[in-house]
Amino acid sequence: MTGAPSAGLLARVGALAVVLVFFQIGVVSEVPVFGINADLTPLLVAFVGLLAGSTLGAACGFAVGLLVDLALLQTLGLTSLVFTLIGYWAGRLRELRDPQAGLTPLLVGAAAAAAALVGYSLMEFLLGVDAPVSLDLLRQIVLGTVVDTIVAVPMWAIVRRTLEGGLPEDPRRRRRRRAYTTGGLSPLSKAR
Amino acid sequence: MYDKTVRRRRAVLALLVVLSLLLLTAYFGESGGGSLHGVQRTFLTAVSPIQDGANKALKPVRDLFGWFGDTVHAKGQRDQLRKQIDQLRPELIAAQSEKRTYQQLLALYHLNRLGVSAYHPVTATVVGKSPNIWYSTVTIDKGSPDGVRVNDPVVNGEGLVGKVVAVEPDGAQVDLITDSSMGVSARIGASNATGIVQPKVGNPNDLLLQYLPANTHANKGEYVVTSGTVSGRDDSLYPPGLLIGQVTSENEESAYKSVNVHPIANLHNLDVVEVLTARAGGTAANLKTLIAALPVGQSSEVTAQGEQLASTGAGG
Repeated sequence: MTGAPSAGLLARVGALAVVLVFFQIGVVSEVPVFGINADLTPLLVAFVGLLAGSTLGAACGFAVGLLVDLALLQTLGLTSLVFTLIGYWAGRLRELRDPQAGLTPLLVGAAAAAAALVGYSLMEFLLGVDAPVSLDLLRQIVLGTVVDTIVAVPMWAIVRRTLEGGLPEDPRRRRRRRAYTTGGLSPLSKAR
Repeated sequence: MYDKTVRRRRAVLALLVVLSLLLLTAYFGESGGGSLHGVQRTFLTAVSPIQDGANKALKPVRDLFGWFGDTVHAKGQRDQLRKQIDQLRPELIAAQSEKRTYQQLLALYHLNRLGVSAYHPVTATVVGKSPNIWYSTVTIDKGSPDGVRVNDPVVNGEGLVGKVVAVEPDGAQVDLITDSSMGVSARIGASNATGIVQPKVGNPNDLLLQYLPANTHANKGEYVVTSGTVSGRDDSLYPPGLLIGQVTSENEESAYKSVNVHPIANLHNLDVVEVLTARAGGTAANLKTLIAALPVGQSSEVTAQGEQLASTGAGG
Protein backbone atom coordinates (compact mmCIF):
# COMPACT_ATOMS: atom_id res chain seq x y z
CA MET A 1 0.00 0.00 0.00
CA THR A 2 1.78 3.09 -1.17
CA GLY A 3 -0.88 5.82 -1.01
CA ALA A 4 -2.48 7.40 2.02
CA PRO A 5 -4.88 5.08 3.82
CA SER A 6 -8.53 5.71 3.26
CA ALA A 7 -10.77 7.07 5.98
CA GLY A 8 -12.72 3.82 5.94
CA LEU A 9 -9.61 1.81 6.62
CA LEU A 10 -8.56 4.14 9.40
CA ALA A 11 -11.99 3.86 10.98
CA ARG A 12 -11.87 0.08 10.80
CA VAL A 13 -8.41 -0.06 12.32
CA GLY A 14 -9.42 2.39 15.05
CA ALA A 15 -12.61 0.51 15.92
CA LEU A 16 -10.81 -2.81 15.92
CA ALA A 17 -8.05 -1.40 18.12
CA VAL A 18 -10.46 0.04 20.69
CA VAL A 19 -12.60 -3.10 20.83
CA LEU A 20 -9.61 -5.42 21.09
CA VAL A 21 -7.86 -3.34 23.75
CA PHE A 22 -10.97 -3.40 25.93
CA PHE A 23 -11.49 -7.09 25.19
CA GLN A 24 -7.88 -7.68 26.16
CA ILE A 25 -8.24 -5.74 29.42
CA GLY A 26 -11.71 -7.06 30.27
CA VAL A 27 -11.51 -10.70 29.27
CA VAL A 28 -8.22 -12.04 27.99
CA SER A 29 -6.16 -10.57 30.82
CA GLU A 30 -8.38 -12.35 33.33
CA VAL A 31 -8.20 -15.79 31.75
CA PRO A 32 -4.81 -17.36 32.33
CA VAL A 33 -3.62 -20.05 29.94
CA PHE A 34 -0.76 -22.24 31.23
CA GLY A 35 -0.43 -19.76 34.08
CA ILE A 36 -0.02 -16.67 31.90
CA ASN A 37 -2.28 -14.39 29.92
CA ALA A 38 -2.37 -14.12 26.16
CA ASP A 39 -1.72 -10.64 24.75
CA LEU A 40 -3.71 -9.83 21.65
CA THR A 41 -2.44 -6.29 21.20
CA PRO A 42 0.98 -7.03 19.61
CA LEU A 43 -0.77 -9.49 17.30
CA LEU A 44 -3.25 -6.84 16.26
CA VAL A 45 -0.48 -4.36 15.53
CA ALA A 46 1.58 -6.87 13.59
CA PHE A 47 -1.37 -8.04 11.50
CA VAL A 48 -2.46 -4.49 10.72
CA GLY A 49 1.09 -3.85 9.53
CA LEU A 50 1.09 -7.07 7.54
CA LEU A 51 -2.16 -6.14 5.81
CA ALA A 52 -1.97 -2.38 5.54
CA GLY A 53 1.74 -1.60 5.34
CA SER A 54 4.44 -0.11 7.50
CA THR A 55 3.11 3.40 7.92
CA LEU A 56 -0.31 2.34 9.11
CA GLY A 57 1.27 -0.50 11.09
CA ALA A 58 3.54 1.93 12.95
CA ALA A 59 0.70 4.37 13.53
CA CYS A 60 -1.56 1.60 14.75
CA GLY A 61 1.22 0.39 17.06
CA PHE A 62 1.67 3.82 18.51
CA ALA A 63 -2.07 4.32 19.04
CA VAL A 64 -2.69 0.89 20.52
CA GLY A 65 0.36 1.25 22.78
CA LEU A 66 -0.85 4.64 23.95
CA LEU A 67 -4.33 3.26 24.59
CA VAL A 68 -2.92 0.38 26.61
CA ASP A 69 -0.63 2.64 28.62
CA LEU A 70 -3.46 5.06 29.32
CA ALA A 71 -5.98 2.39 30.26
CA LEU A 72 -3.62 0.43 32.48
CA LEU A 73 -1.88 3.45 34.02
CA GLN A 74 1.45 2.27 32.73
CA THR A 75 4.46 4.39 31.82
CA LEU A 76 3.25 6.46 28.88
CA GLY A 77 5.22 5.89 25.69
CA LEU A 78 6.70 2.56 26.69
CA THR A 79 4.25 0.27 24.95
CA SER A 80 3.86 2.80 22.17
CA LEU A 81 7.53 2.62 21.36
CA VAL A 82 7.65 -1.17 21.28
CA PHE A 83 4.43 -1.52 19.31
CA THR A 84 5.43 1.18 16.81
CA LEU A 85 8.51 -0.81 15.93
CA ILE A 86 6.53 -4.05 15.69
CA GLY A 87 3.91 -2.52 13.40
CA TYR A 88 6.57 -0.95 11.22
CA TRP A 89 8.54 -4.20 10.97
CA ALA A 90 5.44 -6.21 10.01
CA GLY A 91 4.55 -3.62 7.40
CA ARG A 92 8.04 -3.65 5.92
CA LEU A 93 7.88 -7.44 5.80
CA ARG A 94 4.77 -7.21 3.71
CA GLU A 95 6.22 -4.47 1.49
CA LEU A 96 9.52 -6.20 0.87
CA ARG A 97 8.65 -9.90 0.87
CA ASP A 98 4.87 -10.04 0.56
CA PRO A 99 4.76 -13.48 2.20
CA GLN A 100 1.80 -15.58 1.13
CA ALA A 101 2.54 -18.86 2.88
CA GLY A 102 -0.17 -20.27 5.11
CA LEU A 103 2.13 -20.20 8.12
CA THR A 104 2.93 -16.50 7.73
CA PRO A 105 0.38 -15.26 10.29
CA LEU A 106 1.60 -17.87 12.77
CA LEU A 107 5.26 -16.91 12.35
CA VAL A 108 4.58 -13.18 12.30
CA GLY A 109 2.38 -13.57 15.40
CA ALA A 110 5.09 -15.50 17.21
CA ALA A 111 7.74 -12.98 16.24
CA ALA A 112 5.53 -10.05 17.26
CA ALA A 113 4.70 -11.64 20.61
CA ALA A 114 8.35 -12.45 21.32
CA ALA A 115 9.45 -8.98 20.24
CA ALA A 116 6.83 -7.35 22.46
CA LEU A 117 7.77 -9.43 25.50
CA VAL A 118 11.52 -9.03 25.02
CA GLY A 119 11.25 -5.37 24.05
CA TYR A 120 9.03 -4.56 26.98
CA SER A 121 11.37 -6.37 29.37
CA LEU A 122 14.40 -4.57 27.92
CA MET A 123 12.69 -1.22 28.26
CA GLU A 124 11.74 -1.95 31.85
CA PHE A 125 15.33 -2.89 32.63
CA LEU A 126 16.57 0.26 30.92
CA LEU A 127 14.18 2.30 33.03
CA GLY A 128 15.68 0.79 36.13
CA VAL A 129 13.14 -1.77 37.29
CA ASP A 130 14.79 -3.59 40.16
CA ALA A 131 14.32 -7.19 39.03
CA PRO A 132 16.89 -9.86 38.16
CA VAL A 133 17.09 -11.57 34.78
CA SER A 134 15.99 -14.98 35.91
CA LEU A 135 14.93 -18.27 34.39
CA ASP A 136 11.40 -17.46 35.49
CA LEU A 137 11.41 -14.38 33.29
CA LEU A 138 12.70 -16.39 30.34
CA ARG A 139 10.06 -19.01 30.99
CA GLN A 140 7.37 -16.35 31.02
CA ILE A 141 8.63 -14.94 27.73
CA VAL A 142 8.73 -18.37 26.09
CA LEU A 143 5.30 -19.38 27.42
CA GLY A 144 3.84 -16.01 26.47
CA THR A 145 5.18 -16.40 22.95
CA VAL A 146 3.73 -19.91 22.69
CA VAL A 147 0.30 -18.84 23.92
CA ASP A 148 0.23 -15.81 21.61
CA THR A 149 1.28 -18.01 18.70
CA ILE A 150 -1.68 -20.28 19.42
CA VAL A 151 -4.13 -17.39 19.35
CA ALA A 152 -2.43 -15.81 16.33
CA VAL A 153 -4.43 -17.85 13.82
CA PRO A 154 -7.92 -16.79 14.95
CA MET A 155 -6.61 -13.29 15.54
CA TRP A 156 -5.33 -13.13 11.97
CA ALA A 157 -8.74 -14.22 10.70
CA ILE A 158 -10.49 -11.51 12.73
CA VAL A 159 -8.12 -8.72 11.65
CA ARG A 160 -8.14 -9.74 8.00
CA ARG A 161 -11.93 -10.08 7.92
CA THR A 162 -12.35 -6.66 9.53
CA LEU A 163 -9.90 -4.80 7.31
CA GLU A 164 -10.61 -6.67 4.09
CA GLY A 165 -13.20 -4.27 2.78
CA GLY A 166 -11.11 -1.21 3.56
CA LEU A 167 -7.87 -2.32 1.99
CA PRO A 168 -7.16 -0.84 -1.45
CA GLU A 169 -6.14 -4.20 -2.85
CA ASP A 170 -5.66 -7.68 -1.55
CA PRO A 171 -2.02 -8.77 -1.60
CA ARG A 172 -2.90 -12.21 -2.94
CA ARG A 173 -5.04 -10.76 -5.67
CA ARG A 174 -2.29 -8.35 -6.61
CA ARG A 175 0.27 -11.14 -6.77
CA ARG A 176 -2.00 -13.35 -8.83
CA ARG A 177 -2.58 -10.51 -11.25
CA ARG A 178 1.17 -9.86 -11.46
CA ALA A 179 1.81 -13.54 -12.13
CA TYR A 180 -0.65 -13.58 -14.98
CA THR A 181 0.49 -10.39 -16.63
CA THR A 182 4.30 -10.38 -16.31
CA GLY A 183 7.26 -12.61 -16.92
CA GLY A 184 5.69 -14.90 -19.47
CA LEU A 185 3.66 -16.70 -16.85
CA SER A 186 0.35 -15.64 -18.30
CA PRO A 187 -1.62 -18.36 -20.06
CA LEU A 188 -2.09 -15.85 -22.84
CA SER A 189 1.65 -15.41 -23.30
CA LYS A 190 2.08 -19.17 -23.30
CA ALA A 191 -0.50 -19.43 -26.04
CA ARG A 192 1.52 -17.20 -28.26
CA MET B 1 7.26 9.30 -6.18
CA TYR B 2 9.10 6.36 -4.61
CA ASP B 3 11.50 8.64 -2.75
CA LYS B 4 8.60 10.65 -1.45
CA THR B 5 6.89 7.54 -0.18
CA VAL B 6 10.05 6.28 1.47
CA ARG B 7 10.71 9.67 3.05
CA ARG B 8 7.17 9.88 4.34
CA ARG B 9 7.32 6.38 5.73
CA ARG B 10 10.61 7.03 7.50
CA ALA B 11 9.38 10.38 8.73
CA VAL B 12 6.28 8.80 10.23
CA LEU B 13 8.38 6.15 11.95
CA ALA B 14 10.86 8.70 13.26
CA LEU B 15 8.05 10.92 14.44
CA LEU B 16 6.28 8.13 16.30
CA VAL B 17 9.49 6.88 17.88
CA VAL B 18 10.50 10.34 18.96
CA LEU B 19 6.99 10.98 20.26
CA SER B 20 7.16 7.77 22.26
CA LEU B 21 10.55 8.68 23.69
CA LEU B 22 9.34 12.16 24.55
CA LEU B 23 6.30 10.72 26.28
CA LEU B 24 8.51 8.25 28.13
CA THR B 25 10.95 10.92 29.24
CA ALA B 26 8.27 13.37 30.25
CA TYR B 27 6.20 10.76 32.07
CA PHE B 28 9.21 9.36 33.82
CA GLY B 29 10.49 12.79 34.81
CA GLU B 30 7.30 14.24 36.20
CA SER B 31 5.78 13.67 39.59
CA GLY B 32 2.62 11.72 40.27
CA GLY B 33 0.54 14.88 40.01
CA GLY B 34 2.06 15.92 36.65
CA SER B 35 0.12 16.70 33.50
CA LEU B 36 0.66 13.35 31.80
CA HIS B 37 -0.44 11.51 34.91
CA GLY B 38 -3.43 13.83 34.96
CA VAL B 39 -4.23 12.94 31.36
CA GLN B 40 -3.98 9.30 32.26
CA ARG B 41 -6.34 9.74 35.21
CA THR B 42 -8.79 11.72 33.09
CA PHE B 43 -8.73 9.06 30.43
CA LEU B 44 -9.35 6.41 33.02
CA THR B 45 -12.24 8.38 34.49
CA ALA B 46 -13.72 8.79 31.04
CA VAL B 47 -13.40 5.19 29.99
CA SER B 48 -14.12 3.53 33.30
CA PRO B 49 -17.91 3.45 32.67
CA ILE B 50 -17.18 1.91 29.30
CA GLN B 51 -14.80 -0.52 30.94
CA ASP B 52 -17.42 -1.38 33.55
CA GLY B 53 -20.05 -1.91 30.89
CA ALA B 54 -17.70 -3.97 28.77
CA ASN B 55 -16.66 -5.90 31.84
CA LYS B 56 -20.26 -6.80 32.64
CA ALA B 57 -21.14 -7.51 29.03
CA LEU B 58 -18.10 -9.71 28.54
CA LYS B 59 -18.51 -11.58 31.82
CA PRO B 60 -20.19 -14.59 30.15
CA VAL B 61 -17.33 -14.79 27.68
CA ARG B 62 -14.84 -14.53 30.52
CA ASP B 63 -16.71 -17.18 32.47
CA LEU B 64 -16.72 -19.46 29.44
CA PHE B 65 -12.97 -19.12 28.98
CA GLY B 66 -12.57 -19.38 32.73
CA TRP B 67 -14.55 -22.60 32.75
CA PHE B 68 -12.11 -24.19 30.34
CA GLY B 69 -9.19 -22.87 32.32
CA ASP B 70 -10.72 -24.02 35.60
CA THR B 71 -11.33 -27.47 34.15
CA VAL B 72 -7.71 -27.80 33.13
CA HIS B 73 -6.64 -26.40 36.49
CA ALA B 74 -8.98 -28.78 38.32
CA LYS B 75 -7.50 -31.71 36.44
CA GLY B 76 -4.04 -30.60 37.47
CA GLN B 77 -5.19 -30.27 41.06
CA ARG B 78 -6.81 -33.68 40.91
CA ASP B 79 -3.57 -35.28 39.73
CA GLN B 80 -1.66 -33.44 42.42
CA LEU B 81 -4.11 -34.55 45.11
CA ARG B 82 -3.92 -38.12 43.88
CA LYS B 83 -0.17 -38.00 44.31
CA GLN B 84 -0.65 -36.62 47.80
CA ILE B 85 -3.09 -39.41 48.59
CA ASP B 86 -0.57 -41.97 47.37
CA GLN B 87 2.06 -40.38 49.60
CA LEU B 88 -0.22 -40.16 52.63
CA ARG B 89 -1.78 -43.61 52.34
CA PRO B 90 1.19 -45.48 53.87
CA GLU B 91 1.30 -42.92 56.67
CA LEU B 92 -2.41 -43.41 57.30
CA ILE B 93 -2.03 -47.17 57.37
CA ALA B 94 0.86 -46.88 59.82
CA ALA B 95 -1.12 -44.47 61.99
CA GLN B 96 -4.17 -46.74 61.96
CA SER B 97 -2.00 -49.68 62.89
CA GLU B 98 -0.46 -47.73 65.75
CA LYS B 99 -3.88 -46.59 66.89
CA ARG B 100 -5.17 -50.14 66.91
CA THR B 101 -2.15 -51.32 68.86
CA TYR B 102 -2.62 -48.47 71.30
CA GLN B 103 -6.29 -49.35 71.80
CA GLN B 104 -5.43 -52.97 72.40
CA LEU B 105 -2.72 -52.03 74.87
CA LEU B 106 -5.15 -49.69 76.59
CA ALA B 107 -7.71 -52.47 76.84
CA LEU B 108 -5.06 -54.77 78.28
CA TYR B 109 -4.19 -52.10 80.80
CA HIS B 110 -7.83 -51.92 81.91
CA LEU B 111 -7.98 -55.70 82.01
CA ASN B 112 -4.96 -55.74 84.29
CA ARG B 113 -6.66 -53.29 86.58
CA LEU B 114 -9.60 -55.71 86.81
CA GLY B 115 -7.47 -58.47 88.30
CA VAL B 116 -5.69 -60.26 85.47
CA SER B 117 -2.41 -58.84 86.70
CA ALA B 118 -2.42 -61.48 89.42
CA TYR B 119 -1.76 -64.07 86.72
CA HIS B 120 1.54 -62.48 85.68
CA PRO B 121 0.53 -61.46 82.21
CA VAL B 122 3.27 -61.32 79.63
CA THR B 123 2.49 -58.93 76.82
CA ALA B 124 3.25 -60.40 73.42
CA THR B 125 2.91 -59.30 69.85
CA VAL B 126 1.24 -61.49 67.30
CA VAL B 127 3.86 -62.11 64.64
CA GLY B 128 2.09 -64.71 62.54
CA LYS B 129 -1.38 -65.90 61.77
CA SER B 130 -2.48 -69.13 60.23
CA PRO B 131 -3.45 -68.48 56.63
CA ASN B 132 -5.72 -71.50 56.72
CA ILE B 133 -9.25 -70.84 57.87
CA TRP B 134 -9.48 -74.32 59.34
CA TYR B 135 -6.65 -73.85 61.79
CA SER B 136 -7.25 -70.94 64.14
CA THR B 137 -3.75 -70.38 65.40
CA VAL B 138 -1.46 -67.42 65.85
CA THR B 139 2.23 -67.14 66.63
CA ILE B 140 3.44 -64.73 69.30
CA ASP B 141 6.89 -63.31 69.89
CA LYS B 142 7.28 -64.42 73.53
CA GLY B 143 8.53 -67.88 74.47
CA SER B 144 9.93 -69.96 77.26
CA PRO B 145 12.49 -67.38 78.50
CA ASP B 146 9.57 -65.06 79.20
CA GLY B 147 7.80 -67.63 81.34
CA VAL B 148 5.37 -68.77 78.68
CA ARG B 149 4.39 -72.41 79.01
CA VAL B 150 2.08 -74.80 77.22
CA ASN B 151 -1.61 -74.38 78.19
CA ASP B 152 -1.14 -70.83 79.41
CA PRO B 153 -4.31 -68.82 78.73
CA VAL B 154 -4.03 -66.00 76.23
CA VAL B 155 -6.24 -62.92 76.48
CA ASN B 156 -6.54 -59.52 74.92
CA GLY B 157 -8.37 -56.42 76.03
CA GLU B 158 -11.71 -57.82 74.91
CA GLY B 159 -11.53 -61.22 76.54
CA LEU B 160 -10.29 -64.75 76.13
CA VAL B 161 -8.37 -65.43 72.95
CA GLY B 162 -7.01 -68.95 73.32
CA LYS B 163 -4.23 -70.94 74.91
CA VAL B 164 -0.59 -71.70 74.26
CA VAL B 165 -0.08 -75.05 72.55
CA ALA B 166 3.63 -74.95 71.73
CA VAL B 167 6.51 -72.99 73.17
CA GLU B 168 9.89 -72.23 71.70
CA PRO B 169 12.64 -70.03 73.10
CA ASP B 170 11.79 -67.19 70.75
CA GLY B 171 8.05 -67.61 70.35
CA ALA B 172 4.96 -69.63 70.99
CA GLN B 173 1.97 -70.93 69.13
CA VAL B 174 -1.50 -70.11 70.36
CA ASP B 175 -4.68 -71.97 69.51
CA LEU B 176 -7.60 -69.56 69.35
CA ILE B 177 -10.87 -70.41 71.05
CA THR B 178 -12.36 -71.02 67.62
CA ASP B 179 -9.88 -73.82 66.91
CA SER B 180 -11.49 -77.22 66.70
CA SER B 181 -9.19 -78.60 69.41
CA MET B 182 -10.31 -76.06 72.00
CA GLY B 183 -12.70 -76.56 74.89
CA VAL B 184 -13.17 -73.99 77.65
CA SER B 185 -15.07 -74.43 80.88
CA ALA B 186 -17.56 -71.56 80.94
CA ARG B 187 -20.75 -70.29 82.48
CA ILE B 188 -23.48 -67.89 81.52
CA GLY B 189 -22.94 -64.66 83.43
CA ALA B 190 -26.18 -64.41 85.37
CA SER B 191 -26.50 -68.08 86.26
CA ASN B 192 -24.23 -70.64 87.80
CA ALA B 193 -24.81 -73.14 85.02
CA THR B 194 -21.49 -74.23 83.57
CA GLY B 195 -20.68 -75.95 80.32
CA ILE B 196 -17.96 -76.33 77.74
CA VAL B 197 -17.41 -73.78 75.03
CA GLN B 198 -16.30 -75.32 71.76
CA PRO B 199 -16.22 -74.14 68.14
CA LYS B 200 -19.44 -74.73 66.32
CA VAL B 201 -19.19 -77.48 63.74
CA GLY B 202 -19.40 -76.02 60.25
CA ASN B 203 -18.82 -72.51 61.44
CA PRO B 204 -15.35 -72.07 62.93
CA ASN B 205 -16.00 -68.41 63.71
CA ASP B 206 -18.89 -69.21 66.03
CA LEU B 207 -18.93 -70.99 69.39
CA LEU B 208 -21.23 -73.41 71.14
CA LEU B 209 -21.68 -73.59 74.92
CA GLN B 210 -22.60 -77.23 75.49
CA TYR B 211 -23.55 -79.56 78.30
CA LEU B 212 -25.59 -77.03 80.20
CA PRO B 213 -28.26 -78.41 82.52
CA ALA B 214 -31.52 -78.85 80.64
CA ASN B 215 -33.34 -76.35 82.84
CA THR B 216 -30.84 -73.55 82.15
CA HIS B 217 -32.35 -70.44 80.69
CA ALA B 218 -30.12 -68.16 78.63
CA ASN B 219 -31.22 -64.84 77.24
CA LYS B 220 -29.92 -63.48 74.01
CA GLY B 221 -27.07 -61.05 74.63
CA GLU B 222 -26.05 -62.54 77.98
CA TYR B 223 -22.33 -62.76 78.52
CA VAL B 224 -20.51 -66.06 78.66
CA VAL B 225 -17.42 -66.05 80.88
CA THR B 226 -14.83 -68.58 81.93
CA SER B 227 -15.93 -70.53 84.96
CA GLY B 228 -12.43 -71.01 86.35
CA THR B 229 -13.61 -74.08 88.19
CA VAL B 230 -11.18 -75.56 90.73
CA SER B 231 -11.79 -79.20 91.42
CA GLY B 232 -8.51 -80.89 92.21
CA ARG B 233 -6.68 -82.28 89.23
CA ASP B 234 -9.33 -81.04 86.76
CA ASP B 235 -8.73 -77.37 87.51
CA SER B 236 -9.67 -75.04 84.70
CA LEU B 237 -6.73 -73.56 82.85
CA TYR B 238 -8.42 -70.20 82.68
CA PRO B 239 -9.01 -67.59 85.39
CA PRO B 240 -12.67 -67.15 86.29
CA GLY B 241 -14.68 -64.31 84.80
CA LEU B 242 -12.82 -63.85 81.54
CA LEU B 243 -15.24 -62.77 78.88
CA ILE B 244 -15.67 -65.22 76.02
CA GLY B 245 -18.70 -64.08 74.11
CA GLN B 246 -22.41 -63.32 74.02
CA VAL B 247 -25.34 -65.68 73.72
CA THR B 248 -26.98 -65.46 70.33
CA SER B 249 -29.57 -68.27 70.57
CA GLU B 250 -30.60 -71.36 72.50
CA ASN B 251 -30.72 -74.90 71.17
CA GLU B 252 -33.25 -77.37 72.55
CA GLU B 253 -31.74 -80.77 73.18
CA SER B 254 -32.88 -83.77 75.19
CA ALA B 255 -30.47 -84.33 78.06
CA TYR B 256 -28.46 -81.10 77.91
CA LYS B 257 -28.99 -77.65 76.62
CA SER B 258 -26.57 -75.77 74.42
CA VAL B 259 -26.43 -72.14 73.39
CA ASN B 260 -24.78 -70.43 70.49
CA VAL B 261 -22.12 -67.94 71.49
CA HIS B 262 -20.53 -65.22 69.39
CA PRO B 263 -16.94 -64.54 70.51
CA ILE B 264 -16.37 -61.04 71.86
CA ALA B 265 -12.68 -60.82 70.98
CA ASN B 266 -12.04 -59.87 67.39
CA LEU B 267 -9.90 -62.88 66.55
CA HIS B 268 -9.27 -61.69 63.01
CA ASN B 269 -7.55 -58.57 64.16
CA LEU B 270 -5.08 -59.55 66.86
CA ASP B 271 -1.95 -57.52 67.26
CA VAL B 272 -1.16 -57.52 70.96
CA VAL B 273 -2.14 -60.21 73.46
CA GLU B 274 -1.27 -61.19 77.00
CA VAL B 275 -0.21 -64.63 78.11
CA LEU B 276 -1.30 -65.39 81.66
CA THR B 277 1.76 -67.23 82.88
CA ALA B 278 0.35 -68.09 86.33
CA ARG B 279 -2.51 -70.48 85.79
CA ALA B 280 -5.90 -70.28 87.42
CA GLY B 281 -5.37 -73.35 89.58
CA GLY B 282 -1.71 -72.57 90.24
CA THR B 283 -0.13 -71.34 93.45
CA ALA B 284 0.07 -67.73 92.45
CA ALA B 285 -3.56 -67.54 91.41
CA ASN B 286 -4.73 -69.33 94.55
CA LEU B 287 -2.70 -66.97 96.70
CA LYS B 288 -4.31 -64.04 94.97
CA THR B 289 -7.73 -65.54 95.62
CA LEU B 290 -6.86 -66.03 99.29
CA ILE B 291 -5.62 -62.47 99.59
CA ALA B 292 -8.79 -61.19 98.03
CA ALA B 293 -10.86 -63.23 100.47
CA LEU B 294 -9.20 -61.68 103.53
CA PRO B 295 -10.84 -58.79 105.42
CA VAL B 296 -9.93 -55.34 104.12
CA GLY B 297 -7.54 -54.43 106.89
CA GLN B 298 -5.50 -57.59 106.65
CA SER B 299 -5.51 -57.89 102.91
CA SER B 300 -3.52 -54.70 102.38
CA GLU B 301 -0.79 -55.91 104.69
CA VAL B 302 -0.57 -59.29 103.12
CA THR B 303 -0.85 -58.14 99.55
CA ALA B 304 2.84 -57.36 99.17
CA GLN B 305 3.87 -60.70 100.57
CA GLY B 306 1.28 -62.48 98.46
CA GLU B 307 2.51 -60.76 95.30
CA GLN B 308 6.06 -61.76 96.14
CA LEU B 309 5.00 -65.36 96.67
CA ALA B 310 2.93 -65.26 93.54
CA SER B 311 5.88 -64.16 91.45
CA THR B 312 7.98 -66.93 92.96
CA GLY B 313 5.24 -69.40 92.15
CA ALA B 314 5.03 -68.25 88.58
CA GLY B 315 8.68 -68.76 88.04
CA GLY B 316 8.45 -72.38 89.15
